[in-house]
Amino acid sequence: MKEERGKHLQRRITRRTFMKYAGAAGVAAAVGPQILIPKARGAKKDQVVFVSEESNPKAIAVYEKINADFEKNAGIKVTMEYPGFANIHKRVATLIAAGTPPEIVWYGAGQAMNLALEDQLADVGDVIKEVGGIPDSLRMIYKGADRSIPTSQQFTYCWYRKDLYQQKGVQPFKSWEEFVNVAKALNNPPNLYGCIVPSAESGASTILFETFLMTNDVHWFEWNASKKQYEVALDKGANKKRAIETLDYLYELHKYSPEASTYNWAELMSTYVTEKAATSYYVGARLLEQVMANNARIADATVPLAFPKRLTDHFFLSIQGFHILNHSNVEGAKQYCKFFVKHPDCIKWYHAVPLHIIPASREVLRSAKYQDNPVIQKRMDVLNFLDSMWGKGVPLYYWDGKELNPFIGLYHNDNLGGWMVAMRNIKEMKPEAVIDEAADKIRKKMRKMG
Amino acid sequence: MKDPTHNKLWILGTTVPALLFLTLIAYLPITYAIAISFFKKTAFSPKMSWVGLKNYLWLLGEADLWSALGRSAVFTVGSVLVQIAWGLGVALLLNRAFRGQTLVRSLFILPYLLPTIVVALVFQWLLNQEYGVINQVLLQAGLVSRPINFIGGLKTAMYSVIGTASWQYGSFVALMVLARLQAINPKLYEAARVCGAGPLRCFWDVTLPNLKTTLLLLALLRGIWMFNKFDIIYLVTRGGPLKVTETLPIYAYRLAFEEFDFGLAAGVCTFMFVVLVLGSIVYFKLFDPTKEVEVGR
Repeated sequence: MKEERGKHLQRRITRRTFMKYAGAAGVAAAVGPQILIPKARGAKKDQVVFVSEESNPKAIAVYEKINADFEKNAGIKVTMEYPGFANIHKRVATLIAAGTPPEIVWYGAGQAMNLALEDQLADVGDVIKEVGGIPDSLRMIYKGADRSIPTSQQFTYCWYRKDLYQQKGVQPFKSWEEFVNVAKALNNPPNLYGCIVPSAESGASTILFETFLMTNDVHWFEWNASKKQYEVALDKGANKKRAIETLDYLYELHKYSPEASTYNWAELMSTYVTEKAATSYYVGARLLEQVMANNARIADATVPLAFPKRLTDHFFLSIQGFHILNHSNVEGAKQYCKFFVKHPDCIKWYHAVPLHIIPASREVLRSAKYQDNPVIQKRMDVLNFLDSMWGKGVPLYYWDGKELNPFIGLYHNDNLGGWMVAMRNIKEMKPEAVIDEAADKIRKKMRKMG
Repeated sequence: MKDPTHNKLWILGTTVPALLFLTLIAYLPITYAIAISFFKKTAFSPKMSWVGLKNYLWLLGEADLWSALGRSAVFTVGSVLVQIAWGLGVALLLNRAFRGQTLVRSLFILPYLLPTIVVALVFQWLLNQEYGVINQVLLQAGLVSRPINFIGGLKTAMYSVIGTASWQYGSFVALMVLARLQAINPKLYEAARVCGAGPLRCFWDVTLPNLKTTLLLLALLRGIWMFNKFDIIYLVTRGGPLKVTETLPIYAYRLAFEEFDFGLAAGVCTFMFVVLVLGSIVYFKLFDPTKEVEVGR
């Protein structure tokens, strides 16, 4: 009997049968997750997963308070994730790919456009209507519906050392030429640089270039009214001339900057905080927060200044908001967003990094409640500066026309602007060739998008 | 006589759990990765659509793929050569009895035990253009007039990542070579000295032939690991500046998480797998380590 069982076992496990089953397992492994996973997580009505770009400890404390109140009020538990500024879209992509999209993502509307283009964002027009007070210029409208609930914004501007400027007898710059002259006057490498021009494929470099392009009225795209679509305009006519002029200008400015071929936001701040640069810039006031935390001695002398105007005084505007994903607990997420914005502690959330996360509404910025913060009270000059800049910032997706430009991700999210600056400043490529190659890259990606 | 059925069950019982574990953590993800390379799959949608060989055709026409392959070859060959040279040198130094030899040997192995993030951060600071200690020393000694941009320089970045990776992984080579050195029969050296051989001759005629198998196997193993290396390069330079350190793993990561195309990224990973398989076939044809082992016997 045992022998017969042994022989039976031998017959069952042959090389052929093993390969057959292994092959079947392989196919199942390849196809299975696509079938199973999207069904694995139904939208749980008593849970909301919220992924936030802001992970400042004070902001986290506010989230925890508001979330606790929301759970008591609505019976919905909020689970937070803080993947960080650099990794948030990777985290969101991973969750979506796994079939477990979060309910809410709070980050830049420009980044959220990737989700909108893939029809992953819910229509939040009803929330915007109920919340009220959101300027039209901050809304992201795609396929006829609002896809973002703007909560805050950040302007792009310079920070400079007033004390060093005064020592050298130079005035804060107002034009491109003045900026170069000031940077040259203050430049004393390697101890002190006149300015910082990051020349890397990084966000810091990209946004600097995009802002300078805006001040020189350069457009990446133009609206073709007959075809009703955007077309690449970077390498066309007068636009190209001004783009070349902008690249050459940053090349000149780079002479009074560290080489900065690896610089991103952290290096931009640390070089200034450690007193290695007389002028820096940032998208918001986080640089000032870092100065106060790490080198308070120079905090009072750290003063904001608008980028020098050329043809326009526009700048890159960063808008953040709540984005609610389809195929999740959409109603629960909407409830939460309305609750958050109306909660009394929402003001504390703006105060987590004072003057950096600026309210979407000018009324809130000017309100006594918002200004009731020791840092803001100490630095009312910064608040007044921000108020004076109101309305001059333009989000990239509306820079080239009134219609939302769905192609900005092709150059902005890929840090193409940073690549252009690096090619000019580090590799010393001719600006015309840089512009032509950049325009070709965008067109190639548009063709790949179909 | 033992029951053959009992033997078979015993074999199955002891190997199946390990096989299942290996299937779960290795074979299934590999199969899935190869499978999605035939689909269009973006990062922001759970759907995927069949495109056949389109991803591969696009990739093979991309200059970035071939440039990344070239850089992978440079990084692999460069770091393996440096690791073997460094490991061999260290092992020869440690292959003698001296006071405190255990402590010294432990210190030399320490880099291999450190987490990669620690090594990357330390080297980022050491090599920093503005604050790095290496630049400070070079400037103070008058060897350079301006700080060197080790990590951000177009010509220096690749050397920097090769140096960082070699510092960390050279210890592994030292460990393996030292173990083999300890097994060499000392009578061979005596015989060589009797014949009038000096230290260099002894090294060339006794030490190296005995180390050949070990070094060839190390070259293969280190080569495969360095070809697939992502962490140390990404942590130190992120593939920059201007992609001069963008090897194939970094390129795959960029496609997946910066251009959000998982299908293309999976295609690059499959391409890497094929390159490694072809490389291994060539290696075994040229060197045939199994023959070396037999000859060694």
